[in-house]
Amino acid sequence: MNPFSYSRVADPGEAVHTLAGKPQGKFLGGGTNLIDLMKMGVETPNELVDINRLPLTQIEELPDKGVRIGALARNSDVAEHELIKTRYPVLSLALLSGASPQLRNMATVGGNLLQRTRCYYFYDPAFPACNKRKPGSGCGALDGYNRIHAILGQSDQCIATHPSDMCVALAALDAVVRVRGPKGEREISFGNFHRLPGNTPERDTNLAPDELIVSVDLPAISFAARSHYLKVRDRASYAFALVSVAAALDLDSNKVKAARVALGGVAHKPWRAHKVETEINGKSADENTFRAAAEAELAAAKGYKYNSFKIELAKRAIVCALSTVAAMA
Amino acid sequence: MSATLIGQRLTRVDGRLKVMGQATYAAEFARPKLAYGVLVQSTIANGRVTKIDISTAKSAPGVIAILTRENAPQFKPYPDDLTKKGAPGEDRVPLQDAEIHYAGQHLGIVVAESFEQAVHATSLVRVTYQPQPPVVMLDDERVQKNAIWPERFIGRESLQVKRGDINAALATAAHKIDVVYSTPVENHNPIETYSTTAEWEAPDRLLIHEATRGIKQLQRIIANVFGLPRENVHIICPFIGGAFGSKGFQWSHTVLAAAAAKLVQRPVKLTFTRPQMFDSAGQRARTEQRFSIGADKNGKLMALRHATTTHCSPVSEYTEPCGNMSRMLYSCPNVEVSHRLVRLNLTTPCPMRAPGEAPGVFALESALDELANETGLDPVEFRLRNYADIDEYENRPWSSKKLRECYERGAKKFDWSKRTRKAGSLRGADGSQIGFGMATAIYPAGQQKAGATAILNKDGTVTVRSATHEIGTGTYTAMSQFAADTLGIPIEKIRFELGDSQFPEAPNNGGSWLTSSVAPAVMGACRELKKKVVDLGESWPNDPAQLANLLARSGQEQIQAEFISEPNKEEREKFSFFSYGAVFVEVHVDPLGQVRVKRVILILPNTTWRCTRTHRNLTSISSTS
Ligand SMILES: Cc1cc2nc3c(=O)[nH]c(=O)nc-3n(C[C@H](O)[C@H](O)[C@H](O)COP(=O)(O)OP(=O)(O)OC[C@H]3O[C@@H](n4cnc5c(N)ncnc54)[C@H](O)[C@@H]3O)c2cc1C
Repeated sequence: MNPFSYSRVADPGEAVHTLAGKPQGKFLGGGTNLIDLMKMGVETPNELVDINRLPLTQIEELPDKGVRIGALARNSDVAEHELIKTRYPVLSLALLSGASPQLRNMATVGGNLLQRTRCYYFYDPAFPACNKRKPGSGCGALDGYNRIHAILGQSDQCIATHPSDMCVALAALDAVVRVRGPKGEREISFGNFHRLPGNTPERDTNLAPDELIVSVDLPAISFAARSHYLKVRDRASYAFALVSVAAALDLDSNKVKAARVALGGVAHKPWRAHKVETEINGKSADENTFRAAAEAELAAAKGYKYNSFKIELAKRAIVCALSTVAAMA
Repeated sequence: MSATLIGQRLTRVDGRLKVMGQATYAAEFARPKLAYGVLVQSTIANGRVTKIDISTAKSAPGVIAILTRENAPQFKPYPDDLTKKGAPGEDRVPLQDAEIHYAGQHLGIVVAESFEQAVHATSLVRVTYQPQPPVVMLDDERVQKNAIWPERFIGRESLQVKRGDINAALATAAHKIDVVYSTPVENHNPIETYSTTAEWEAPDRLLIHEATRGIKQLQRIIANVFGLPRENVHIICPFIGGAFGSKGFQWSHTVLAAAAAKLVQRPVKLTFTRPQMFDSAGQRARTEQRFSIGADKNGKLMALRHATTTHCSPVSEYTEPCGNMSRMLYSCPNVEVSHRLVRLNLTTPCPMRAPGEAPGVFALESALDELANETGLDPVEFRLRNYADIDEYENRPWSSKKLRECYERGAKKFDWSKRTRKAGSLRGADGSQIGFGMATAIYPAGQQKAGATAILNKDGTVTVRSATHEIGTGTYTAMSQFAADTLGIPIEKIRFELGDSQFPEAPNNGGSWLTSSVAPAVMGACRELKKKVVDLGESWPNDPAQLANLLARSGQEQIQAEFISEPNKEEREKFSFFSYGAVFVEVHVDPLGQVRVKRVILILPNTTWRCTRTHRNLTSISSTS
C-alpha cells in the first residue's frame, strides 16, 4: 500500500472542496473495495477524504412517492428498510444477495455504485496487460481465463463486467444518481451513470473525479412491489454473480402491461434489457413469451473460450426470474 | 482400564481459553524488539531473475534490512527423506539460485519496524526477469515427453500396480465403461494463515514460534539447514488455527524468517497474507483420472483400470495418490493402477484434507455408479456383489471391516429402496432434476511411533506431555481424557501439554493417526507412572487428594515416567487396517445448473466415540437439507 494522507469531513460542501482539483484523491466510504484495491496496489490515491460522517444516511419518501437513499446509507440498512422491502423488493433482495453481512454493514450506497470490476487481470498488477488499469497495455482476459467476463456490450479493449448486484436492481428501477461537484449539483440517470468500455475502459462511469454522490433517487413505480432478483453463482452464498436478473412486471390478468428487466454479470455496466421489455409487452406472461424475449436480448451476445455458457444461462435466468414474478400474487 | 470418561460429553479443556481469546496462536507471541518480515515474490511463473533492485526499498521508512540472494547465507540442504523421493515439500532451499519455477516463489524478505512499512517497502523492490513461457496445463504437449511415472508414494506404497490381465478381462467384459474425471487445484485456507517468529537466543540457538503440524520435523529441517544440533532449535506451537493439510511440510518461509532474524539480530515475525495462502505453501494438485472398468453379466467386477495424471512443480515430486484405494476397495481379479506426473510451473503441490484418497475415491465411486447403472444393478447391490472379504492387494485379512453393515444401515435410514431409480426421471416442482447416489468411504487407519511423559506434581496434579499438536480437533481434551481414565483421577487434575519440540517425540499431525498414535503413548506413560508409585511401596490411591501426600511421603520433588508406543508390527503385517463408511445423498440440479445437496447421510461403524459432544458436532451435518 502506498503512503497517503487522510482527512475527515463533516459536510458535503467541505468534502467536495477538499478534493477539488485533486485527481489523485479519493473519497472513502465503507472502504470495503477501495482499501482492498489499495492493498493490491491497483488503486494508489495519495489522499483519502473520509466521508463516513456526512449526514447522508437518510432513506426517505419523496413528495412524488419515490424514495431517496442517501449515499452514505449502509447496504444492510437499505435492504432492511420498510419502504424498500415493500415498494422495491427487488432492490432489497439484490442487496441481500451480495457479499456478507459484515461487508453489507460497512458498504455504502455510493461506494457500491463505484465498486470496481473483479476481472482477475485488473485485480492483480502482476498481470502486465489491463487497459482498465493501465490504458494501452492490452487486455489479458481476451485470450486468458475469461469465465466471469462480459458477453454483451464489450469491446476488444475490455471484457470486464460490473460486479454489483444493487446496481442491477437500480438499473431496472430507473434510479437517478444525484451528485455534487465544485460547480454544484446535477442528476445522472442510471442508464447514463455507468459506461460501456469502448476505447476508454479506464472510465467505469460518467462521474467526474471531483464529484461526490449525494443520493440515489428511486422513482415511484407502482408495480415494483411485484419484483424479484435472481442471482446465479458458483456458491450459494458469498460469491459474485455469474449472471443475475432484476425483474418487475405489471400484469393485467395474464397480459404484460409493463416490464422492467436488467441483467448483471454480463456487461461492463448493469445491462438494462430493453429488448426483453418491449418483446413481452402486451403478450401473455408465459414461458414461451419469456424465452422468445430472452433469445432476442441475447441475440447479439458474444462469448469467449470460458464464458460462452453465460449466453444460455442468461436466457434461462431471464425466463426463470420473469416466471417467478408472474407467479407472484 | 475403567472407561469412565471416554464417550462422555465433556467440554473442551481449552474451550474457555479459546472463547476468551487467551489461546495463543503462532502470530500472537509478543517478543522483545520484534521486527516484521514481508516476502518478496516472483510475479512471473518461469524464467530467471536477472536483477533485484532494492535501492528505493532500502531507504523507505522503517526498513531495517532486505534479504535476497545477494546477501543470503549459504543454506545446507533439507534432510533427504523429508523433501526427496516424492515427499511433500520442496527440495530446493531458497535464495541460492536465480531460477523461477512458479509465480509467487519467494525471492527475498523485507524486514521493517512495522508490518505496514515492510509491506510498502516490498512494493518498492524492483525485480527484473528473463522470462520463459510457463507451462501450467496438465495436457500441455511440452511436458508430456518428460512425464514421470513415480514408483512410490513418499517412498512407501507402490503407485504403479498390476494384477492379472486387465486387457484380456476388458475385452471379454459384458458391461464396461471408459470415463474420465477431473478435479481442480484446491487450496488450504484455514482461518489462521501461516506464521512464524524466529529469534536467535544465542549465535547457535534458535527459538521459533510457528503454526506447524510437524514440530519435530520442522526442528530437524531447520537444524539441518543452519547446521545446528537438533536440540538447539526450539519450536513452540500450542495451538493451530486449522490446517486442512497445510502447515505440515517444508516451505521456505521458516528458513527466510530465521535467516532474516540473524541478519537484523532481532526476532522477526513473518505472517502470510491471505493471497499468499494460494502461492506460498502448497496446494492440492489438479487430477485427471481415467477409468476403464468392466463387469461380467452378473455384475461382478472383472477389470479395473485407474490411471491418474497429475502434476508436481519443478522442485518437488510429490504425487497425489489417487489410485491407492482402487487397489483393494473392491474384489476384482484384474487391476491396474497407475500414476503419471507432469512438471508444471505451479505452486508446489502437497496433500490437502486427505491426500489422493479424497479425489481418488470420489472418482472411483462415481465411476462405479456409472457402471452399476450400465449393468442395471442397484449401486448398493453392485457394491455388495463386489465386496472385498480380504485385502486382495496385500492378500491378507482386514483388521476389521463393517462396511456391509454401514450399507445396510444407511440404505434403511435413507429409504434407499423407495427412491425413484431411473436416472433423469425424477423432477421437482421447480424443474430441478433429482438424483440419489451413494458411495463408500474409506481411509487408512494408521498408527505411528509416539512418546509421552507423565509427571506427578507436588499438588497432586499430573502433567502429561507429548510433542503433538492441537489443530482444533480436541487433542488437549482427548489426551486429558485418556490420562484421567488411565490414572483413575478427575480430568481437572490432569494438565496435558503439547506443541513443544522439547517434549517427547510425536508424529506429524496428519493421516488421521494422531489419536491412535499419541493416545497409546499417553496411556503408557500414565501406566508407568502408576507402576513407579507402586514400586515405592505405595498403592495408587483412589482418592486424588492423597496423591500429594504420597509424593510428600516419598521425599521426591516429582515422579516422572515415560513411554514410547509403537504400532504392533506383527499385527500390522498380518492385517490390513482401514476405516470404512457409507454415504447416501439426494442432489437437485435446477434448470440454471445450480447444484443443491438436499440430504446427506453418513454411516460409520458403531464405535466408541471418545467424546460424544465432538462426535455430535462432527455428524450434525447429516440432517441438513
Ligand atoms: C469479499 C467481498 C465480497 C463481495 N461480494 C459482493 C457481491 O456478491 N455483490 C456485490 O454487489 N458486491 C459485493 N462486494 C462489493 C461490495 O458491495 C463493495 O465493496 C461495496 O459496496 C463498496 O462500498 P464501500 O462504501 O465500502 O466503498 P469504498 O470501498 O469506500 O469505495 C469504493 C469507491 O467508491 C468511491 N466512493 C465511495 N463513496 C462515494 C461517494 N459518496 N461519492 C463518490 N465516490 C464515492 C470511493 O472513492 C471508491 O473509489 C463484495 C466485496 C467483498 C470485499
